[in-house]
Amino acid sequence: MNNQQHQVSQFTELSGALTDFNAFALHGTGQVQNYFQTLNDIVGKGIVEQLLNVFEVVYESACDEQGFNTGIRQQILGDVKLGPVARNIIKLWYTGTWYQLPHAWRETFGKSEHDVTFFVSSAAYTEGLLWQAIDANPSGAKGPGYGSWSDAPRINFDNRWQFVKQH
Amino acid sequence: MSEANSTIEQITPEQAVQNSNSGKYDAVIIGSGISGAIAAKELTAKGFQVLVLEAAPAKSLSYDGFKQYLSNYYANSSKDNNAPYPANPNAPMPRSTDVSKLYLGQTSSKGYMVQNGPLALDSTYTRVTGGTTMHWEAKILRMLPDDFSIKTKYGVGLDWPIKYEDLMPYYRMAEREIGVSANVEEQGFYGIKYEKDYVYPMYGLPPSYLDQVVAKGIDGAEFELFGETHTVKVRPFPQGRNGIPNERYQSGSGFKPVGAVGAVQVEQGGRCQGNNNCVPICPVQAKYDARKTLFDAAKTGKMDFLPQAVASKVVVSKHDNNISHIEFKHYTKTSSPEHTLGQVCARTFILATNAVENARLMLASGLPSSSGLMGKNLMDHTYLLAWGLLPEAAGTMRGTKCTSGIADFRYGTSRAKQAPFGVDIHNDGWGWATGSPFSDIETLVDTQNKFGKELRQSTVDRVSNQLLFAYMVEQAADESNRITVDPEYKDALGNMRPIVNYNLSDYSKAGIAYARETSKVFFQRLGAQDFSSYSLLDYGSFQYQGESYYFRGGNHFSGTHVMGTSAENSVVNEHQQSWDHNNLYLIGSGSMPSIGTSNTTLTLAALCFKTMEYLVAELGSYQVDVVSDTTFKTVKGASQ
Repeated sequence: MNNQQHQVSQFTELSGALTDFNAFALHGTGQVQNYFQTLNDIVGKGIVEQLLNVFEVVYESACDEQGFNTGIRQQILGDVKLGPVARNIIKLWYTGTWYQLPHAWRETFGKSEHDVTFFVSSAAYTEGLLWQAIDANPSGAKGPGYGSWSDAPRINFDNRWQFVKQH
Repeated sequence: MSEANSTIEQITPEQAVQNSNSGKYDAVIIGSGISGAIAAKELTAKGFQVLVLEAAPAKSLSYDGFKQYLSNYYANSSKDNNAPYPANPNAPMPRSTDVSKLYLGQTSSKGYMVQNGPLALDSTYTRVTGGTTMHWEAKILRMLPDDFSIKTKYGVGLDWPIKYEDLMPYYRMAEREIGVSANVEEQGFYGIKYEKDYVYPMYGLPPSYLDQVVAKGIDGAEFELFGETHTVKVRPFPQGRNGIPNERYQSGSGFKPVGAVGAVQVEQGGRCQGNNNCVPICPVQAKYDARKTLFDAAKTGKMDFLPQAVASKVVVSKHDNNISHIEFKHYTKTSSPEHTLGQVCARTFILATNAVENARLMLASGLPSSSGLMGKNLMDHTYLLAWGLLPEAAGTMRGTKCTSGIADFRYGTSRAKQAPFGVDIHNDGWGWATGSPFSDIETLVDTQNKFGKELRQSTVDRVSNQLLFAYMVEQAADESNRITVDPEYKDALGNMRPIVNYNLSDYSKAGIAYARETSKVFFQRLGAQDFSSYSLLDYGSFQYQGESYYFRGGNHFSGTHVMGTSAENSVVNEHQQSWDHNNLYLIGSGSMPSIGTSNTTLTLAALCFKTMEYLVAELGSYQVDVVSDTTFKTVKGASQ
């Protein structure tokens, strides 16, 4: 595995932990490469590398899921530099939208001209994970079929991300 | 030629002018929305020759062109009701995103429609081929018989010069043209009558799971109102979208649904698939839009179609006060205001641009009507939103935008004191009020600091449990609510823009306040947490009896060229014919003296059929040939 592949794989794991959708579900959207690229284009390779490294350390050092979650909170989501980026990754996966980073972040860590609120692509909108979470189709796409709306939603968590500690 | 590129043949402005000079046209129709399209279809079917001028480009008439709208919509970070439709400075349209709060005495010209207040109105319409039926929701209700005589019965607003019974045959025609899905046995309430054995073209759409949850909680709730008991029952709405054809339609001859425009119809445009996106665009074209009717008109070979031609002046002949011609500006690119001027004439002129644009064009032409009522009596449905969170996942965000609602406050003696209302149960959750579901994700991630498992569960609890009631409150005619023009405000082509002057009466506000009270009862009965809040900073904010509310516009502009019994009390007669100019018809919801608690399109379409029957008889004083369907022509690349 070269470095790029390794990074994409780490990005997928991080995305899984943040969104609670497993790698299979994330790859199913067809957006992994697209989002990884978007992230790199906007916040820069350095910050992405730092984020993935911290994630790897948190993962490796956690004994159990609770410890892992605490690590994510304290070292990523609660970090001045990495927090806003991680939250953007969550929102990107759930909605297909890249949200412009907060003003304070931009002042301190750099403003990319691409850092505006936008749908990464037409497909990104229709692949938002929020629709899967609630067992609905994205408004305007993937119509589930005549009358399907009469039944109760079949909400399930079969494809959720699992914290697996390698021994 | 590829099916995906098939479209309606278009003529050039030079041909239009030349044809009109040689006396080719029985009618010039301005606008290709539902009114213009029905006019074109009805006249050409009887062999009359028409010219249709459309202000916008006509790229969407091909299947590929339509798909571009969809792509625009997906990628547009704003999902407002004109999001799929490209900005066009040569024929601009209002957008709700342009509306902001007006402070005392303030005028805002930020959007195309200048807001002169005192209240800002965020209603919109769509200036594209097919008109506002491109973004409409296609909930399609008949008016109640009482709605036609509210002045006589309740002392408010204006009466119609005709009654429900007069419109009944035309309601049927409109329901056929639009292709309505509904079960007649669920719709005959509060005076609504049907001919014996009538059935709708298609069976009603099944109610959503959300509707069933809500019905279980609130059916049977009783409200005492001015001495009458109103008992609530959740009922399905008639829908202008394809369902399952009813084999009993028209004495057993059945109904064939109309599919997607410009495509292989067996593949697209069949039954509603539940895309939950009726507004602003149905991706599979199961929803009716006026392009379907326009194609029928084109098939006769009797319709000349000229897009990118904006009518700019209606010119009256001094000799007999009839319309002599209409001037238009034709542009080749939406990105440039460069245009050529032309004028067209015909035996009759039909303005079918919509209630705001019809009045705008007449006023800009210096024709305020001898009654002085042109542009006045502007009405719209006033919406109050109330939103809460149910204790269980109700499958919100699925189905069409709205499958059921409550009709039990649409009638009754209370109409003398407060505005009546219908209620919609929104299958798209809080979207209209808060921008859900995206705003929910923002809140969960950025404010509630959720991630991982907690986030995923919270997303379910926060979105799938949503319930939003949209109360559609009647607005009665009031001359001070009006469309005006002023040379100070012009668009890129130099045409004057509409100025809206808008306020809510105490009658409206009383209805809105009562609507809010019913929502509190509903939420209690459902065990739902009430999330409704009405910020004073909202552009629709107003106070009534010490409480704050805000309203939203309903996109149901009407009343601006009101019909009546004389040239003194109205702009048009019951045939939507101008009292001042014999050969001029102003058609659409602008002619409606009241709008009741029904979305306006079905009634305006019925009126259009009635008018066309009259006009056919008027024009038919000489012989014409009736054409067959075989002359339908298609051309490639009209969008180049």
